[in-house]
Amino acid sequence: MANLTNLYDVSKCTACRGCQVACKDWNQLPAVIEPFKGNYQTHKDTNGDTFTIVKFMEYEDPVDGVQWNFLKYQCMHCFDPACMKVCPRQAYSKTEWGATFHDPDKCIGCQYCTYACPFEVPKYREREDKITKCTLCVDRVEAGLTPACARTCPTGALTFGPRDELLQVAEERVKFLRVNGFPNATIYGKLELGGLNKLYVLTDTPDKFDLPVNPKVSGNTVFWQDWIQPYFGWLIPLALAGSATSFITTRILANKHGAHGEGGHE
Amino acid sequence: MALIPEYRADVPRVERFNFLARFSHWGHTVTFLLCLFTGLVLFLDGVNWLAAIFGGYAGAGLVHRIAAVGMTIVIVIGGVFGFKGVIEWIKDLLRFGKNDIIFVMKFPLEFLGFPVKMPPQTRFNGGEKGNSMLTPTSVMLLVLSGYIMWFPAIFPGGLVRVAYWTHDIAMVLATFMVCMHGYLGSFHPGSGESFWGMWKGTVRADWAQHHHAIWYEEAYGDKDQDKTE
Ligand code: HEM
Ligand code: HEM
Ligand code: SF4
Ligand code: SF4
Ligand code: SF4
Repeated sequence: MANLTNLYDVSKCTACRGCQVACKDWNQLPAVIEPFKGNYQTHKDTNGDTFTIVKFMEYEDPVDGVQWNFLKYQCMHCFDPACMKVCPRQAYSKTEWGATFHDPDKCIGCQYCTYACPFEVPKYREREDKITKCTLCVDRVEAGLTPACARTCPTGALTFGPRDELLQVAEERVKFLRVNGFPNATIYGKLELGGLNKLYVLTDTPDKFDLPVNPKVSGNTVFWQDWIQPYFGWLIPLALAGSATSFITTRILANKHGAHGEGGHE
Repeated sequence: MALIPEYRADVPRVERFNFLARFSHWGHTVTFLLCLFTGLVLFLDGVNWLAAIFGGYAGAGLVHRIAAVGMTIVIVIGGVFGFKGVIEWIKDLLRFGKNDIIFVMKFPLEFLGFPVKMPPQTRFNGGEKGNSMLTPTSVMLLVLSGYIMWFPAIFPGGLVRVAYWTHDIAMVLATFMVCMHGYLGSFHPGSGESFWGMWKGTVRADWAQHHHAIWYEEAYGDKDQDKTE
């Protein structure tokens, strides 16, 4: 089955945050009220009860004065998700159309996935001792609906459909933006981390949108998962086998050479 | 052949480990093994039966944390009330020298049961000195990385990612040592009386003299008596 993806076009977003509300509504997430921090962004980051936020990046333009870049932010549904790799409970799975699905029933709240994810997207929900994140509205999509956020978007900044089609749309749009005042316009999610099942059209370079230009899974995570976890543990059966061998040979040799004398010495 | 030599109250015995040392040792043993089996539930794949013993994965996580706190308490009690003993222990480890190296090199033969003549040893022999350095170091690393993993939100993300592999490496090293150590401290015929030293506190004087000649001389031998005269 073809990958089904959200395309988010920054140049069409007005930061109305309808997607944020629709997501809360559909997923029945309680409000999380954070204190005012001097800009219009509602939450510092996604959290256990907020799967998606619209980020506000403020900057000063010499001609136009104070400007914002907006970014709808949530799980990127990586093709090769690091969260899935580290999870000791196999709580993550990929749906055949590309969503990274998290099963709360299996999750034990260890938070390995939070620190493996290059975006630190999975967030801890304390009241349940579990992790949560954007589901790409698996429940809606499998019932033939579009994700709640994409359905709500009034400007057409968020669309949903087959990834290859949306990729073409995105490429056209970037070409258009580049000759219409956004020379740095670019696609995000096409190649990053081997491909994300989320596509972005950005009007500037990713760093201007608080996105890692070249996202990477930490070397610590790779070392842990690819070297220590699979191989190092074999030392333990080795020690057990050594002790078992000694248990037998000591007793055989004791018969040959005579046992250790009283008190355990010859 | 008996698994462990019989405990003989009718022969002269000398003290090897005081109550605090024994409390601390067995306190560590119980909490370590609980942490180990509840941790292996996550380290190994597909061991649902092991998790089931602790009431499932959430139960194993809870036992892991309770045992971790128990271990921390044992460390604090042992370190505070047994401070003098810990210092003496460390002092003995610092005496690591030629006799210890010879001991460790010959030990594989002794381990398998060949008769070998060992040079005189201090309170802890070369192998025990090695164990006394490697195992407690690994346990310290387990405790430090464990608390970071328990409360990741209050530590920088980079440190949390280091803690994950540290916890696993320290777990494997400590468990490797403990597997051999537990065997050597019990069913290995060559270790003889040492189990009773840790269980009841005393060992046979003749065993102590033979296995830890330097210690025996210093602690209970004529030399000591000379000094007290
Ligand atoms: C103060 C001591 C310790 C603390 C605070 C601690 C804490 C933790 C935490 C928070 C986890 C993450 C899993 C979860 O959320 O349940 C964990 C995993 C684990 N712990 Fe510990 N722990 C301690 C000592 C030990 C000891 C002594 C051992 C073994 C000898 C051990 C072996 C493991 C193993 C094998 C894992 C699984 C790692 C993996 O998934 O690869 N821990 N520990
Ligand atoms: C599994 C069962 C265990 C048994 C039967 C056992 C037995 C013993 C005995 C008999 C001694 C005294 C050796 C001597 O005469 O000097 C000892 C010492 C010691 N034990 Fe254990 N032990 C066990 C588990 C553990 C565990 C789980 C740890 C730590 C995680 C540990 C750490 C130590 C240390 C550091 C010493 C002092 C150094 C040495 O003598 O090797 N033991 N143990
Ligand atoms: S963005 Fe993070 S949580 Fe989402 S699929 Fe990728 S690794 Fe997993
Ligand atoms: S917190 Fe849950 S989903 Fe994340 S790695 Fe642990 S068990 Fe898996
Ligand atoms: S896809 Fe669904 S879960 Fe994800 S941000 Fe949109 S509404 Fe929320």
